[in-house]
Amino acid sequence: MHPWLLLLLPLHVLASKDRLLGVSPDLVARYVPTKKGSAETWQCLDGSKTIDWSSVNDDYCDCTDGTDEPGTSACPDSRFYCVNAGHIGSYIPSTRVRDGLCEPECCDGSDEPEGVCPNVCKQVGEEYRERVKAENKLRKTGSKIRSTYLAFAQKEKKRLEEEIASSAQEISAREKEVARLRDLVERTESLSAAALEEKKSSPLYQSLITHHAALKSLQREHKKHLERETALGEILDQLRTGYNPNYQDMAVLEAVRGWEQLAGLPHINDVGKEDENPDELGSDESEAASEEEQLEEGIWSTEQLEHQLDDLLATDYEGLLIEHDKHVGAPASPTSILFNLSAYLPDAVVPQYEALRDQLVSWLELLGLAQSKTDTAADTSKAQKTLGDAEHNLNLARREKEDKERELSRLFDPEWYGPDGEWKKLAGTCIEKESGDYVYEVCLFDEARQKPLKGGQTFSLGKFAEWNNAEGIEKGSPAYYSKQHYTRGAKCWNGPQRSVTLDMSCGLENAVLSVAELEKCEYEFKVTTPALCLPLSASDIKREEL
Amino acid sequence: MRAFRSLLVLAAVPAALAFKSQDFKTCSQSGFCRRGRALSARASESPSWRSPYSVDASSIALSSDQASFIAAVKSSIYPDVKFSLDVRIHDDGVVRVRMDEVDGLRKHYDEAASWALLDEPKVSQQVQWKVGKDGVSAVYGAKKDVEVKVAFEPLKVTLLRNGKEQVVLNNRGLLHMEHFRTKESVAKGKEGIAVPEEGLDIDDDAQVVLGAHPRTAWFEGEQEDSWWEETFNSFTDPKPRGPESLSVDIDFPNHGHVYGIPQHATRLDLPTTTGENAHYSDPYRLYNADVFEYLADSTTSLYGSIPFMHAHSADSTVAIFNAVGSDTFIDIGHPTAKSSTSHWISETGILDVFIFPGPTPADVFAQYTRLTGTPALPAHWALGYHQCRWNYVSSDDVRTVQKRFDEEDIPVDVFWLDIEYSEEHKYFIWDRKHFPDPVDMIKDVEAIGRHMVVIVDPHLKRTNDYPVYKQATELGILVKKGDGTTDYEGWCWSGSSAWVDFFNPGSWDWWKSLFKTESQGEQWSWVDSTVDTGIWNDMNEPSIFNGPEISMPRENIHYGGWEHRDLHNINGMLFHNLTSQAAMARTDPPKRPFVLTRSFYAGSQRFGAMWTGDNLGTWEHMAVGVKMVLANNIAGFSFAGSDVGGFFGNPEPEMLVRWYGVGIFSPFFRAHAHIDTKRREPFLLDEPYKGIVRDMLRLRYAMLPVWYTAFREASVTGLPVVRPHFVVFPQDENGFSLDDQFFVGGSGLLVKPVTRKGATEETVYLPAEDQVYYDYFNDYAYRSTSSKGKEITVSAELHQIPLFIRGGSIIPTRERPRRSSPLMKRDPFTLRVALSSDGSARGELYLDDGETFSHQQGQFVWREFAAEKPTKKSKGVRISSRDLAAQKPAEAVDHVALTTYDSSNAFAKDIADVRVEKIVVLGLPAKPSSVTIESGKELRWTYTPGVASSDKKGGTASVLVIRDPKLAITGDWSILVQA
Repeated sequence: MHPWLLLLLPLHVLASKDRLLGVSPDLVARYVPTKKGSAETWQCLDGSKTIDWSSVNDDYCDCTDGTDEPGTSACPDSRFYCVNAGHIGSYIPSTRVRDGLCEPECCDGSDEPEGVCPNVCKQVGEEYRERVKAENKLRKTGSKIRSTYLAFAQKEKKRLEEEIASSAQEISAREKEVARLRDLVERTESLSAAALEEKKSSPLYQSLITHHAALKSLQREHKKHLERETALGEILDQLRTGYNPNYQDMAVLEAVRGWEQLAGLPHINDVGKEDENPDELGSDESEAASEEEQLEEGIWSTEQLEHQLDDLLATDYEGLLIEHDKHVGAPASPTSILFNLSAYLPDAVVPQYEALRDQLVSWLELLGLAQSKTDTAADTSKAQKTLGDAEHNLNLARREKEDKERELSRLFDPEWYGPDGEWKKLAGTCIEKESGDYVYEVCLFDEARQKPLKGGQTFSLGKFAEWNNAEGIEKGSPAYYSKQHYTRGAKCWNGPQRSVTLDMSCGLENAVLSVAELEKCEYEFKVTTPALCLPLSASDIKREEL
Repeated sequence: MRAFRSLLVLAAVPAALAFKSQDFKTCSQSGFCRRGRALSARASESPSWRSPYSVDASSIALSSDQASFIAAVKSSIYPDVKFSLDVRIHDDGVVRVRMDEVDGLRKHYDEAASWALLDEPKVSQQVQWKVGKDGVSAVYGAKKDVEVKVAFEPLKVTLLRNGKEQVVLNNRGLLHMEHFRTKESVAKGKEGIAVPEEGLDIDDDAQVVLGAHPRTAWFEGEQEDSWWEETFNSFTDPKPRGPESLSVDIDFPNHGHVYGIPQHATRLDLPTTTGENAHYSDPYRLYNADVFEYLADSTTSLYGSIPFMHAHSADSTVAIFNAVGSDTFIDIGHPTAKSSTSHWISETGILDVFIFPGPTPADVFAQYTRLTGTPALPAHWALGYHQCRWNYVSSDDVRTVQKRFDEEDIPVDVFWLDIEYSEEHKYFIWDRKHFPDPVDMIKDVEAIGRHMVVIVDPHLKRTNDYPVYKQATELGILVKKGDGTTDYEGWCWSGSSAWVDFFNPGSWDWWKSLFKTESQGEQWSWVDSTVDTGIWNDMNEPSIFNGPEISMPRENIHYGGWEHRDLHNINGMLFHNLTSQAAMARTDPPKRPFVLTRSFYAGSQRFGAMWTGDNLGTWEHMAVGVKMVLANNIAGFSFAGSDVGGFFGNPEPEMLVRWYGVGIFSPFFRAHAHIDTKRREPFLLDEPYKGIVRDMLRLRYAMLPVWYTAFREASVTGLPVVRPHFVVFPQDENGFSLDDQFFVGGSGLLVKPVTRKGATEETVYLPAEDQVYYDYFNDYAYRSTSSKGKEITVSAELHQIPLFIRGGSIIPTRERPRRSSPLMKRDPFTLRVALSSDGSARGELYLDDGETFSHQQGQFVWREFAAEKPTKKSKGVRISSRDLAAQKPAEAVDHVALTTYDSSNAFAKDIADVRVEKIVVLGLPAKPSSVTIESGKELRWTYTPGVASSDKKGGTASVLVIRDPKLAITGDWSILVQA
């Protein structure tokens, strides 16, 4: 072939109307040539350069701002406008112009040379309108539900306000009652203080107090240990279910097997074993069960320890002291203690003690104390108990009121239930979705959880922390309410604490559509809710009619 | 691609603590290496040391073509053991030296070369051996300047050029092939010596001529160190065949630098492991291994092994290929600055060494790749950007990632799926809970011209509901335990697993059938994939979590009864080879396959791409990755890259940006991340980082014509795609150790990726030549000198990459950003003409359909662009485009030597309307008076004055921009720029 022939490339001859290819309607007015004699020139839109009018849309980038090539891909980072007659016009980046693919955004096919992409705007437009219609319908129905949420919030407001008012009344009544009781107790106390002090010197009482202190300490330590055990158990459970057997870390394997044995759990993640010994698991469990301890008579069981110890520790010892006196009758005077005390003393001091005792008893008789009976101490402790109860109830009432006040303040707080309180209805609403081997649940404004289908521990995926916290998102904007973050869930084995982001959109139901773990232990729930179905605006309705 | 054992939070843990050195043997923990090093120590301590091996002169038998001979070899310490030597000279001057035991108790493994070599090499028709009194010799070469001498006693093979020793085999008398023996014959009441404690390299007591076996002890040592059993960690290697190691010293008395023997995380110019002030204490090891969080500076073995070594001096380059597939340790020394020694200690195998006479690096590449094959020409799309992560978790995830790339207008060609796509790690079988619609997903990706790559690992989950495992069991093609009959079971991602023995020909057709995308009736095949799906072969060392050194027990048995130890380093290549064939067999006619491998051997370049495995997100790893890619390139395997961003860890934005700067200049360009890392796709970056990375990616895409042209050259000539200085300027001593800057193919582009934290400037070395180097971005002209080169300092802010065009080059680019590379196929070209100091330039461009093998039938375009002075004194320049394919059809494409070229082939016709839209000429001496197409048509142009290419001073070069000459890229044309 003659080389010269190859020079004649089939380059498109651009008619003048093509100079406007890709120009958006608001800029068309600026795409007109300036005539000077026979020469037609044009200025780049940023004014940086004047070029021949024929250089506009000639598939060569002249302007630094890219404006001379609105209809080609010659200038990077510029925009191409598709007219899309019969539908709505739209922009595509210049990188997609003449790339051989028909852009869905350009239903008129103007992004590719003629004949490549069919004009499908009629169909696309129809589909679009159908879609808009459907969306609007959804929005409409959804917004009706949403309006019930708004109404609910108003009701809640009223309810809370009323309840707060009644709480306030109750509190003031209770405050008065507490004041009265306190006064009573103080007076009783001052009357009987001396007598009570004397009784309290009883070694039995002292010993009881010491026992009480010791028991309380034991209980505290016991609780601590229980908590530690639970925590360790959780860690080991996590290790057991979360470890990757492929890492072949023998220390991890040992720990898992040890824990399974100790806690009587079935052996997991061992493919070989599953095949060979399907029955082994059951027998392990029954062994563990039979190992239950036989308790001595009178010795408390774990359950008793858990539930009855507090009651025991709450014993009113002072009251008991008085009751004790009554119970043992006459000898239960201070003297009886003194008499019996010798049994507890070392032999060497007994003679001196007996001498002292006799002396003391005679004094006591002289003073008439040893025989006298009194009920004042019992009165004091009863009064105190009543006061304590009253104070407790007062505090409960106050706390209740505070809770309600907080609920009220959150009701229309944009950072909580939204300016219209539209989210209040959903507080505590739990929705869930099965995905993979788990059911994922979120109780809105509370906590998200992962519940295994095949048994095992439920993990917290986090507690409600905040709405969309992305940079540049305005508080209270629709984008703000499109995401919720739940953070500080159970820690992953060798990973972060679990967390969830809800990606929410308008829908007729409160539902989780899908769950994805895009990064380890960071979940994304796609959620629909009527709370996001804003009423249609005039422009939304217009969109439908286009 | 991944971690096992601990998943450490890297930010908090220094890299050195993460590498589990205790999992892998050092030389002192390896019996045969201890023996080899002890031999070397005895030799160096004994002034009268002499190799016991000698050629029996009377046995020499020349072949009928005279180019090869065989001879009997004897060892004075074992007079009854027979060896044979076979030395042959190939038609391209390569010397092959083979030695094997004859009539031994067993056979030494002798098949390594058969897997590595492309074909049986042709023996020279011209060379003739001359038998003399002391040895045999042959003189050959165009100038009769090459001589090979085989000395009889002791046996020594020397390659000389112009009388100067180039390569000497058994120079120091370390050649030793342990013959097979029976345990009983050597035991005789003498206890085998247990494994010495760690750190004891050399047995101090083993002095010459002492002990019970004076005839052998001076050479082999007194101890039978680990002859019959060896324990490492909790693993005992029963070694049923006893000692059979191979030791050979190969010296380069006149070459001061050695390169190659990948894969090691070290410098390109290999530091020493022996001699005074040795840089490393342990030899370089070649034993393919899955090394968790490997060190960035070490001689430990990594995922692949290419026992090919260059020795270089300003006078000549030579090389050797030691075709051995077993565990191999290599000691390197420089007795003087101008000489090098190497000592190769292998566990098993015959001696089969190829000596490449050079004398230039280009000659060595031609010789080596003629033997083991040139890199396959990849599919064009495979040179685009690959986006990977462990793991994209669902079809929707993949679609969302693609959508985000497009929203941000960031180009990308390939999305990858790591192991979690598969149900319980049964590869091929989709996890339908997360990937309910795999084919639709792949098609959604392919709709934008993109591709998906999906992982297929070699471990098969042992469960009968997995058709692949079930069929492999039924076919009896699984690797066997040491007993040779029981299928081996090990642990990997899939739990209890088995491994296909790809050395078994019975596995080949079966494996290929699995990848068919159309239903094969009864036979299971991967109908849930597409013919364009790429494949990723990982874990093919093989990685076995509960195996010795995280791999397969050495006593396992492969096809033919060979032990795993014999062929361990070849194992990964076979899997890669078969997968590549399988991918090709999906269509008829076949399409170019894309298969990425982690493990490799000499010859792997024929089957696809490799990457440097599970690197760390540290600056050290970023830097050593560049060196490792270069080392792979000079070892014949060009299609190489490192995980951008680092596999482990969460790189800060600065590091990630710099890593993209490294990636866009890697032949294989993929970002990848561990499952524990935060997502880090470029669209997630904030500004300015996102914009910088977008610009970098666009630069890579603009330069795809350069990369593709470089790959064509590599596929034909064996020249690497990225070339270190010693390859391009073999006489410039200053460049011999440079490995942090390199050239892209033959384009003349010189780049130094920035791999230092907080860098704002870089120093760049310009080679010793009277030449101008233009800054690619601002056209500044730097001058170098022929006497000593030049070190320049350039700005290297985060958005900058030091990139230069060597004067005399023409760079073809496509400057229009697109979403993926196939969408660029109709885009016009820009030519950057960087005039040399004498005012000329040349460049090349190769194009074809990028996905089929039609180029081998002549469906391609191969152009040469030249800028020359129209007359000697002219200040103008003529820029022309010529048809290289028509000039050199035989050298145009790989695997076929075309006799003719039809410039109007269908592909050329298809792109006939693709034009040159811009020509930029750098360094003209003055403003032109006119710029015309030679046919007379006046062109539009602008000229910015600046320094001329011939000026002595630096400064911003003059720039002529020729506006849209509308010339066809496929056409012959010339443009006259008149002064």
